[in-house]
Amino acid sequence: MKCLLTKLYIIAFMGLVAFFGILIWNLTFAHVIHEYHSRESDVPLHVNGEADKKEPRQQTFDKMILESEDRVKHYLGYRVLEEQRIEGHFHHIGFDVGPDNRSYCRSCHGDMPHDSVKDIRAFLNMHAFFVGCQTCHVKFKEDEITNVYKWYDRKTGEIVESPVNGAPPGTYNAKIIPFIRENGKIVRIDSEEKIQFANDYKAAEPDLSEGQKSKAKKLIHKIISKTPVTCEECHTKQKPTLPLAELGYPKTRIDSITSTEVVGMIKNYTQFHMPKMLNPGEATPPVSPPQQPEAPSVQH
Amino acid sequence: MRLQSRSRPLGAVIVLVLVIIYLLPAGVLGSDVGNCLLCHKYPGLSRVDENAEMRLLYVNEEIFNNSVHGKVKCEGCHTDITKIPHEPVKPVDCLAVCHIIEPAEEQKFSHKSVEAFLEDSVHGKKDKNGNEKKYSEDMPTCKDCHDNPMFRPLAFVKKVRAGVAEDALGRCRVCHKKEEFIYRFYNHITTRLHKSRSPLNIAQSCARCHDDPKLVARHNLNTRAGFSYGDTYHGKAAKMLDETVPDCLDCHVPKGQSVHQMHGNDDPRATTHPENRGQICSSTDCHPGASVQFANYQVHSEFSKEKSPAVYWFTTFFYILTGGTLLPLMVIMFLDLLRRLFPNATFRRRK
Amino acid sequence: MSEKYPPIKTINGRKYFFRFNMNLRIQHIIFAASIIILVLTGMPLKFSGTPWAPYLYSMFGGIAIAPWVHKISGSIMLIVFVYHIYWCIKIFYNNHILRLKREGKRTIGSVTMAALKLPMIPNLKDAKDIIDLMKYLLYFTNKHPEGDEWTWKEKFDYWAPFWGCFIIGASGIIIWKKELFTQYIPGDLINFCLIAHSDEALLAALFLFIWHWYNVHFSTSVFPMGTVFLTGYLPEDLMIEEHYAHYVRVMKKEGLEDEIQPPHGGHSNPACNLTDEAKNLFSKSKNGSSNDSLQQGGSGI
Repeated sequence: MKCLLTKLYIIAFMGLVAFFGILIWNLTFAHVIHEYHSRESDVPLHVNGEADKKEPRQQTFDKMILESEDRVKHYLGYRVLEEQRIEGHFHHIGFDVGPDNRSYCRSCHGDMPHDSVKDIRAFLNMHAFFVGCQTCHVKFKEDEITNVYKWYDRKTGEIVESPVNGAPPGTYNAKIIPFIRENGKIVRIDSEEKIQFANDYKAAEPDLSEGQKSKAKKLIHKIISKTPVTCEECHTKQKPTLPLAELGYPKTRIDSITSTEVVGMIKNYTQFHMPKMLNPGEATPPVSPPQQPEAPSVQH
Repeated sequence: MRLQSRSRPLGAVIVLVLVIIYLLPAGVLGSDVGNCLLCHKYPGLSRVDENAEMRLLYVNEEIFNNSVHGKVKCEGCHTDITKIPHEPVKPVDCLAVCHIIEPAEEQKFSHKSVEAFLEDSVHGKKDKNGNEKKYSEDMPTCKDCHDNPMFRPLAFVKKVRAGVAEDALGRCRVCHKKEEFIYRFYNHITTRLHKSRSPLNIAQSCARCHDDPKLVARHNLNTRAGFSYGDTYHGKAAKMLDETVPDCLDCHVPKGQSVHQMHGNDDPRATTHPENRGQICSSTDCHPGASVQFANYQVHSEFSKEKSPAVYWFTTFFYILTGGTLLPLMVIMFLDLLRRLFPNATFRRRK
Repeated sequence: MSEKYPPIKTINGRKYFFRFNMNLRIQHIIFAASIIILVLTGMPLKFSGTPWAPYLYSMFGGIAIAPWVHKISGSIMLIVFVYHIYWCIKIFYNNHILRLKREGKRTIGSVTMAALKLPMIPNLKDAKDIIDLMKYLLYFTNKHPEGDEWTWKEKFDYWAPFWGCFIIGASGIIIWKKELFTQYIPGDLINFCLIAHSDEALLAALFLFIWHWYNVHFSTSVFPMGTVFLTGYLPEDLMIEEHYAHYVRVMKKEGLEDEIQPPHGGHSNPACNLTDEAKNLFSKSKNGSSNDSLQQGGSGI
């Protein structure tokens, strides 16, 4: 037994010596050779990445905000502010939110899916940050309606407790997803089957014919309604679509969401400045609105 | 990036994910008169613009209020935003005259004077004769070096809260009644009493261009400056978050002048001009009494045959000495272990 | 010396051979401790880009304190170094020069000859031992070289830090007092001092912590720890392995000729003897020839 241990010890130590040998090589001759080669072929010693600049379209919201490689730490003495660094971005972001791993819409539509209506696309994207796509873009059949909405964790996809209370608005690591009634059971709308189907389609896409593709797309988008839930349907005191209280919004936040500030902004500016806010699908040319100095909002 | 923080205090490895710190007395929130944050406080407020570039329209209120611009209204910089939804806007002009009153002259404040310094410096877009420089598009503009600067109050002891000395604030309160003023003034002064960015942050900021091999090659620079700085004691200490070591600015900007006045080595006004170089190191704060030849120390020497042959050969000598000594010893160790593993095998048996 | 330290001590029936006196052992411990601290406080700076550096550095107080820890232990190391040189010269003077003087033969030639015969000076025997060791390690022979009182390994272990101490110490002092030294030397030299300091330190650290520690602690003959640096006495087994020539000489001098053990390469492990015996038997029966193992255990059959 002891003999075996001795042998094992020797073998392990031989491995260690080999490691030391490589280490010493890397610390010494490797430098010289590396320098020599880099000089011969005129390649810079350490090429810093600039590759991501080439294809801006390929950058997703992920790359930019959620998984940005370029991180910076600001040493403020009393605190270290660590955040992503975005080229040319002046204001600080100050927190990290992981990418949404659950949504199967994201793989095609991205994290900033709203683009067609220029005036309000940022608003819609802002909501898409914490509201699942299906919440607005699916109109339920009579027998499907459950009026149950829950939060799911962006990272794990699991249903979680409401993250709203205490967190700064919109900075949640969770999104709202509707639940539907299926065969009498209440299940979340983004079932594993749907996700699997979308994934399978994505994988098989290059091999499909046009007809097959459009058929698959039809199937995936079958549940999508032509007209989405509009702003007013939630930002209203009269039975908003989302059960805000059940989603964990405290009274003050509900008041704020359905406040005259927000609702008023939507209502007032629908006509003048947000002509398409309530009908995002239509592509009518914007009516030139009268000048308005700034949002008539109340200072809190 | 080469220059990365190398300091992780053992006790507190700080990971800030969702940072909410309530260090502000209530009532500091003064700049958002237009209630822009009603929407812009949402981090998802973002879009892809016509040039296929991502635009993040989010403003972190808590951080903004702790920045030096915390008192500037949104409209102070984003001057052409007048309605909702906003019409296409021009980029912010940092040199605009803003709504802040400069207290000494009671004039409206502006960063305008920086422009002249920058134009006159090595980073200006035009050369001495007013002609456009080659590759002038590489020259930095405000936002290439500056993001929104954060207050950085002195924090010798207090590392948890914003380095705020309650005693000092108490004395301010005797005469000054407005909490917001006290807080802001205190932060402004104490931030200015030391480096407003840590040496590491400064070096990283410069290195973003000066370590980029393409830019270094295109502008015929002698060195990847951040990289070679990171090899000096100063750079290494900066990585360990030493606040007292010199960063790029300490040597490359004449003492007491704007950091925007940086000149090339061949410019007689430059601190690094051969005529002036001797004076850099011997500053009272750094190496008092150092001789002129002290400054001959090659801060930006690299392990490169072309750039610094003497350093190259000297280092190579030690590499060969180290490798040449240790590798044979490793071989002997390995054989020794092998001999111990199979003690009885042998090619030639005695007798 | 020999009055104070008997050449062989017998404890519990085991013989221990005198190697180092108290003075040397104290020098060694202080020197070793200061070098360990120097390496631990220096390497995080040399490798400041690695993930382990900040953790190690903060164990020594981070950037505010660790440099001072480094400077203080560096001073201690240099004091030991200087003392050691003084000590060597003193002994040389007392033991050799005074004797030569008494005999009236003090010439440059005779002093040099005496100096060359000092224990730590490499000689031809060392070169022969290295070649023999290589033959042994490559299985060309089963005869481990019979080392003298001080083998080439020990001389290497002595001179490498000696040279290192000189280079690192000198460059360290220049870097420490750079303002003073650059009154006389050009600033460029600081670059070279820094390179010499850190690269030579790397060499020394790797040399000591791999090679030296392997030989005195981790090799299977001594594992888990050699004790000679604490007690000053080397167990008989190791003495036979490394210093057989000296061993025989001492034993004869002490009148213990009957008790002289046969040499061995240290590659026998007592625990493995059983299997070795079995192997021997096996090879005997198979080859019909005696396997002349140098194993001590094997010789017991």
